[in-house]
Amino acid sequence: MSVAGESRSTGMRHGINRRTLVGVAVFLLAVFVVIPLLIAASGRTDFYYTLTSVALLSIASAGVWLMFYIGRINIGQGAFALIGAYVSAILVTKAGMSFWLSLPIAGVFAAGVAVLIGLPILRLKGVYFAMISLVLTQVVTLAALALPITNGAKGITSIPLPGEVSILGLTLIPDFATMENSRLAFYYTACVLMVLTFAAMYRLVNSRLGHICRSMQQNEELASSIGINIAYIRVIVFAISSFLGGIGGAMFGAIAQSVYPSSFQVADSINFMLNCFLGGLGYVFGPMLGTLVLYFGWDLLFESGKYQLLIYASLLIFLMLVLPNGLLSIRLDRLRRTHR
Amino acid sequence: MEQILANGIYLGAQYAMIALGLTLIFALMNVLNFAHGQLYVLGGFVTYTFYGQFGLPFVVALAMSCLTLAIVGALLERYLFGPVIRRSAREESTMLLAAAIAFLLDAIILLVFGEKQRGVPKIVDGVFNWDFRVIMPYDRILICFLAILAIVAFISYMQFTKTGRALRALAQDRTAAQLMGVDTARYSMIGFALGAMLAGLVGGLLVTITGVNLGMGGPTSVKAFMMVMIGGAGVISGAIAGGIILGFMEAIGLAVLSQYGDITYLLIFISLMIFLAIRPQGLMGKPWG
Amino acid sequence: MYRRTIIKGAAVALASLALTTAAHAENDTLKIGFVGVTSGPAAAWGISNVRSMETRAAWINEIGGVQIGDKTYDIEIVTFDDQKDPKRAIAGMEKMAQEGIRYVVGPNVDDGAAAVRPVAEANGIVYFPYAFPKELYSPPASNAVLGMVANYQSGPAIYKYLMESKGVKTVAFVAANESDPLSQRDGGVMAANALGMEVVSDNVTYQVDTSDFTPVITPVIRTQPDLLVLSGVSPAHAPQLIRSARELGYEGLISTETAQDATVLREGAGELANGFISVGGASTPEIASDAMVEFVDRYTKMFGEYNDESNTKVYALEYILETIRANPQAIDDVEVFKAAMDDFEAPNPFMKGNAALKYVGMTSFGQKRQVAVPLVVNVYRDGAFETLFVAEVD
Repeated sequence: MSVAGESRSTGMRHGINRRTLVGVAVFLLAVFVVIPLLIAASGRTDFYYTLTSVALLSIASAGVWLMFYIGRINIGQGAFALIGAYVSAILVTKAGMSFWLSLPIAGVFAAGVAVLIGLPILRLKGVYFAMISLVLTQVVTLAALALPITNGAKGITSIPLPGEVSILGLTLIPDFATMENSRLAFYYTACVLMVLTFAAMYRLVNSRLGHICRSMQQNEELASSIGINIAYIRVIVFAISSFLGGIGGAMFGAIAQSVYPSSFQVADSINFMLNCFLGGLGYVFGPMLGTLVLYFGWDLLFESGKYQLLIYASLLIFLMLVLPNGLLSIRLDRLRRTHR
Repeated sequence: MEQILANGIYLGAQYAMIALGLTLIFALMNVLNFAHGQLYVLGGFVTYTFYGQFGLPFVVALAMSCLTLAIVGALLERYLFGPVIRRSAREESTMLLAAAIAFLLDAIILLVFGEKQRGVPKIVDGVFNWDFRVIMPYDRILICFLAILAIVAFISYMQFTKTGRALRALAQDRTAAQLMGVDTARYSMIGFALGAMLAGLVGGLLVTITGVNLGMGGPTSVKAFMMVMIGGAGVISGAIAGGIILGFMEAIGLAVLSQYGDITYLLIFISLMIFLAIRPQGLMGKPWG
Repeated sequence: MYRRTIIKGAAVALASLALTTAAHAENDTLKIGFVGVTSGPAAAWGISNVRSMETRAAWINEIGGVQIGDKTYDIEIVTFDDQKDPKRAIAGMEKMAQEGIRYVVGPNVDDGAAAVRPVAEANGIVYFPYAFPKELYSPPASNAVLGMVANYQSGPAIYKYLMESKGVKTVAFVAANESDPLSQRDGGVMAANALGMEVVSDNVTYQVDTSDFTPVITPVIRTQPDLLVLSGVSPAHAPQLIRSARELGYEGLISTETAQDATVLREGAGELANGFISVGGASTPEIASDAMVEFVDRYTKMFGEYNDESNTKVYALEYILETIRANPQAIDDVEVFKAAMDDFEAPNPFMKGNAALKYVGMTSFGQKRQVAVPLVVNVYRDGAFETLFVAEVD
């Protein structure tokens, strides 16, 4: 695996090959042009929200995936999503800040919290880290209930929609509140963020840092012995992961125009992790596919009424039996060559 | 003070039993069984059906819970966990399977037993009251006693029988056990069945006090994870210690911090995180990785 | 599917008999939505909701549908399980908009109700949440209609009654550490203070996954209140809390402002639950009309077992249908519906006497955004509820 990674990263320096380029172009075209056209043609406008959710949840899941990449099972992403949602909501409602400014601040704040907590807890491995990150989700939920700044149990409601961004009178982003269809605007925003996230992830995985991460996933002691400051790398990766969680959470707060302590909870943390498993831990785009299948699958089964959960669970078990290494493993050999 | 002690012992005994099954499965197969809480709920519902609905003696109902869950556990291992573990590149993948099984059991329990909270008639009436210093209903005392008895029985079984020895060998070193002629497939199945049976047993015992509803599964699993981590993953004595420690933390915290209400559990969780950060392998666990 | 065919067949047969619908071979369908939680720990809330809607819809369809304007409609209930997740609740409301549904019952909890608000307002959907935040129902919000009696309305009524008739002076509150119960507790404490009661304990909370309530409730019992209020208690926890309190020797009154189920109380706490005061609908024999008795009967036949929580949940669908019937244009224009709410009035079919269906809420919200459900306060005794008193909300 590490050999493949090396050749890939050398490949990067010489430019991206044509097939990858075509794949990216097709993907961008699909997300930004074809899907909106299909939705407009079929009139299924409810899919905007579903797909927006998928995009945002896959951003947070990408963070969890990155943690898997250094060999940590992170069941704490819900905590950072909740932190992000609250930071943005508080800045927008109490300080009157523009949402677009609060969005990166939310991510950075979540990353800052991750650095503080990460220093002690990242020494833990395996199920111990999984468990401590799970507890972290509960800590943040309970703190949100107890703290005055989060407005406790009553949550923060009636958050205004994202406002206008303009430079020298030129409108870059129009005011969401005046838009006829803010769903479409949220869809595009979420997709842009998702594309940026996964582009950055792809770049990162194929960089020197990605190479180091892979070696840490296999053996931390060995990585440490060849002069890698593993404690530093771990904190950096955890901060990136949490940044993504914070961004995803803040966007959700803006769509729901409300944040409650229960907006992200243990179940969400577990779902983020499951998205990664389902997509496949070995593939950068695994979390995106996993989120799509898990989240969209639930919505599609909506017709089945009271058997919805039964069918959903049975399908998951079936998938697991057929493809225990994730959905993308179905094209294992080909993807190894193109994406690693 | 005496009351806190009594509450702590009662809570600790029931928690330890929940944690035992989980840690056994973890030790044997390296599976963090997200569905453990659902198995516990299923056990509660089986006892409810036989004791509460059909009016059979409580002991019979309890035995049915154990039997049903042992069968369910064996089937889960044989047809789901076993194959997936053999074929997946990273063994954490079983977490997705475990979570999916948890969803499935939730769905089945909802369809079969309904959404309502269920309870059964008391097995013993009356309340033990020592001068208002210790107040404990007799049924709690009995359940606590039975739980301790079951824990002792389980430990002796693991210690003194051939199956127990084989299971311990398997937990210690799978490859070595295989080389020594232990039938790993067979004992994995027995171990999983045993773990599930423990969940069923504690579910059946507690249904007489707390009742049972389909929502108890997930939170129970999470609590069980915490106990297992406190004591050290995959170590039987650790699970018992973890259960008792968490039981006492709750009993003491609720008594001492009650006037601060909302922060009791926050403090419990934070102290847990600090403890694990200082001692990453729990009280008795092997260092991981 | 099979059942629906039969019902449709019956409807067709009836319709051809009835003069008003003679022209139509088959009824049109009027879809009413439900977005709420029907799986997981809080499943009981949503399921009792969905089942009362489905029972009523099947009943209406069986007798030929509901006549709106010059057309007759069969009622179809479209349900969406939000798993108590506000993010899913938004998706559910989007689904409802997609299905062209204008009237939705739910969500069941505060966070979900707040989260669906933008979607409901953007798509012109009127929804009936079972959540209490006043902001959802006060201007500028206008699409949410509170589907039941809020705790800040029932609480004061219960406390006042108990002060006057039972001489209650001190009160203690216990709540789960979750948004809804905590908010309800705060509302209860305010109401008790306003009435001049002494609040002796109001900060004890418990986690929703608590399996032993004795340590939780011990400090509360030490304060020896005359009345113990279980704020926003879920039906699963109520019997356990009651049992722990009684076993610790507590002899005062226990009450809650949420709806409970008698079977759950009997199974979980037995005779210890005697005297437990809760808020109910209209199923106690003293006040239930023949229609209510038939409703319970049909519900039981359809789903095997009745849930007393449904007593408070039978109303939302009735309000929607009756208001549309009185204003046929409202069938796909919620503005007409909202305008009609101010002076709509129809007889309440589920209660004896001449109670009326009408919208209220001026005192609490400054506009009529609440259904006038009779505030029925019940007391549990030996496996059944008895009516303690009936009051009205304005």
